[in-house]
Amino acid sequence: MHGIVPMSAATVTSPAEKTPTLSVRGLRVEFPAFAGPPLAAIPDLDLDIAPGEIVGLAGEAGAGKTVLARSLFRLVPEPGRIAGGAIRFDGEDLIGFDERSLQKLRGRSMTLIAANPRGELNPLRTVGDQISTMARVHLGVDRRVARQMTLDMLRAVQIPDPERRYDAYPHELSGGMAQRIVIAVALICSPRFVVADDATSGLDVTVQAQVLDLLRKLTLERGSSLLFITRDVGIAAHFCDRVAVMYRGEIMEVAPRETFFFQPRHPYTVMLLAAFSHNQRLRAGWSRPSKAAAEAVPGVGCSYASRCPKAAARCLVERPAATNLGGGQVIRCHYPVER
Amino acid sequence: MRDLARFIGRRMLFLLPQLFGILLVSFALIKTIPGDPAVLMMGPAATPAALESIRVDLGLDKPLPVQFFIYITNLAKGDLGTSWQTTQPVLNDLIDRFPATLELVTLGLLCAIALGVPLGLASAFREGGKLSKVADLYGLAAGALPDFWLGLVLVFFFYTVFQVVPPPLGRIDLAVFAPPTVTGSLLIDSLLDGNWEAFHSAAAHLVLPVLTLGLINAGPILKMTQSSMEQMLQSDFSRYETLCGLPRGKVVRHALHNALPSIITIISVLYGYLLGGAVLVEIVFSWGGAGQYAVQGVLNADIYPVLGFVLFAAIFSLIVYLIVDIIYFAIDPRIGR
Repeated sequence: MHGIVPMSAATVTSPAEKTPTLSVRGLRVEFPAFAGPPLAAIPDLDLDIAPGEIVGLAGEAGAGKTVLARSLFRLVPEPGRIAGGAIRFDGEDLIGFDERSLQKLRGRSMTLIAANPRGELNPLRTVGDQISTMARVHLGVDRRVARQMTLDMLRAVQIPDPERRYDAYPHELSGGMAQRIVIAVALICSPRFVVADDATSGLDVTVQAQVLDLLRKLTLERGSSLLFITRDVGIAAHFCDRVAVMYRGEIMEVAPRETFFFQPRHPYTVMLLAAFSHNQRLRAGWSRPSKAAAEAVPGVGCSYASRCPKAAARCLVERPAATNLGGGQVIRCHYPVER
Repeated sequence: MRDLARFIGRRMLFLLPQLFGILLVSFALIKTIPGDPAVLMMGPAATPAALESIRVDLGLDKPLPVQFFIYITNLAKGDLGTSWQTTQPVLNDLIDRFPATLELVTLGLLCAIALGVPLGLASAFREGGKLSKVADLYGLAAGALPDFWLGLVLVFFFYTVFQVVPPPLGRIDLAVFAPPTVTGSLLIDSLLDGNWEAFHSAAAHLVLPVLTLGLINAGPILKMTQSSMEQMLQSDFSRYETLCGLPRGKVVRHALHNALPSIITIISVLYGYLLGGAVLVEIVFSWGGAGQYAVQGVLNADIYPVLGFVLFAAIFSLIVYLIVDIIYFAIDPRIGR
């Protein structure tokens, strides 16, 4: 079937021919530890996102998804820091940028749609003010134009009665409404790249579907690329062109959507998908670690070894390299799941 | 606007019951202070019969609730009782003295704000920086040093050693004619009178006590400014504004807007507290203010000055809190609507 060849930098690139909007190479994010060497929340991460592409990033809580999201903006949560690698945006490495150039980029060319929108919005400013400030700061338009753009944006995110909502404060809005406002904040400057960090987790399922459809439509219209971070693999299935799975700061498998769901090769991916299955045997089979896994030592070998049902002696000592299986599927595993 | 009117109306509704409650509690508390005004007034040589007749005159023979009722009915007529020490109606005494304290405390507090808020802000910007260490140390020192001690030290240096300020005896030089009383504040009255000599003398007398209060009370204001500003700068919405590429200045301004309520709260609490709390500074500088008057009353079982002071201070505090509530209302859309 697929020949297993060691990955070169070019092979993680998405099938698209164009230069990627975002290209992360060897990103390492560290947090100081109380004693001993710093801990790497993200040890070594490669990721490419093509123009207009929607990439899903799934993983359980604590996998490093949010750290990655913030790191892409060079705003690692305190006290962490970027210890190495490159974040190329439109070919330019953000690592070399000064604060001023970063400030111009953030909110203008790359934006974040945050979870918990009511916490992220300033409680003392009207939502209209918060959206239009973005246009005024980044696009340099005057107050009147910014107001008009904001009203158009409110309409685009399907806020009823935008004229009235313009002067509403965040606490006067429902969760779904507040989420739309944050989407409006993030999209008003028509950014090239949007990160949605667990953007729909606080919403109930029907509202979630509406917001997702809206987000997909708006990013496609604007030609923006989207990194969609979620804990729910199911959402990623409906929504993304490619899906990546993250575990302990590493991308374990990345593949085009169909391949990801019909031919997953990494045991962790299979476990995640099996978790949604009604088949009890399947679920149990993929979440029970192998005998060898009990011997796993944290920090040595494969990071998934201690939970892996297929872990063997080699997994405990040797960290698997990213391997290209062809067709855009890249995994980190010594023993890919065979069909 | 209608919201605001309703908000203030609701507050006013509670004003009278609040004052009544404060008076009731302080009346009961003051009555528990040991000491018989009759004995203190007549001296040790008084006959029992004379003491008894004084007690009847003062209404001390009646039960406490009746005494309180009489006090309240007199109060409604504008009679706050008479101080046996000054033999003056308490109302007149307080009208003489309260503005002195108010002038001192207001200027002292303004000085504290001018010192505490900028220092607190500056140290919040650079957490762990040099300035924030200075601010920490200052907050600690200001909390630990007694104000009367600082007052004495300032008097020693600036009056005794350098002789740049007038002696700490009252509000104005004895040789200078005081301006006619309009507001009770010597600064404002001498300005209204066009009396520059009096203005200059009053200002010179104010420098040290105001500085004393300012230096001490800048401590809590500084700490509150620093901590609430740090908290706001680390909050999710500030981080998100940074993430959205807003310039640092805008992020800081929005954070300050959010930190303002707690800073205003500590200032208003200090204002109410200082009316009585500045009494030691008043004594050091022989200020002759309302705080000193009330303490003399307590020491000599002179109940009406004390109650009068409590009433004045309570009304003043309630006005301050009302203003603060209106400010909250203006800056925070979540309040009162």
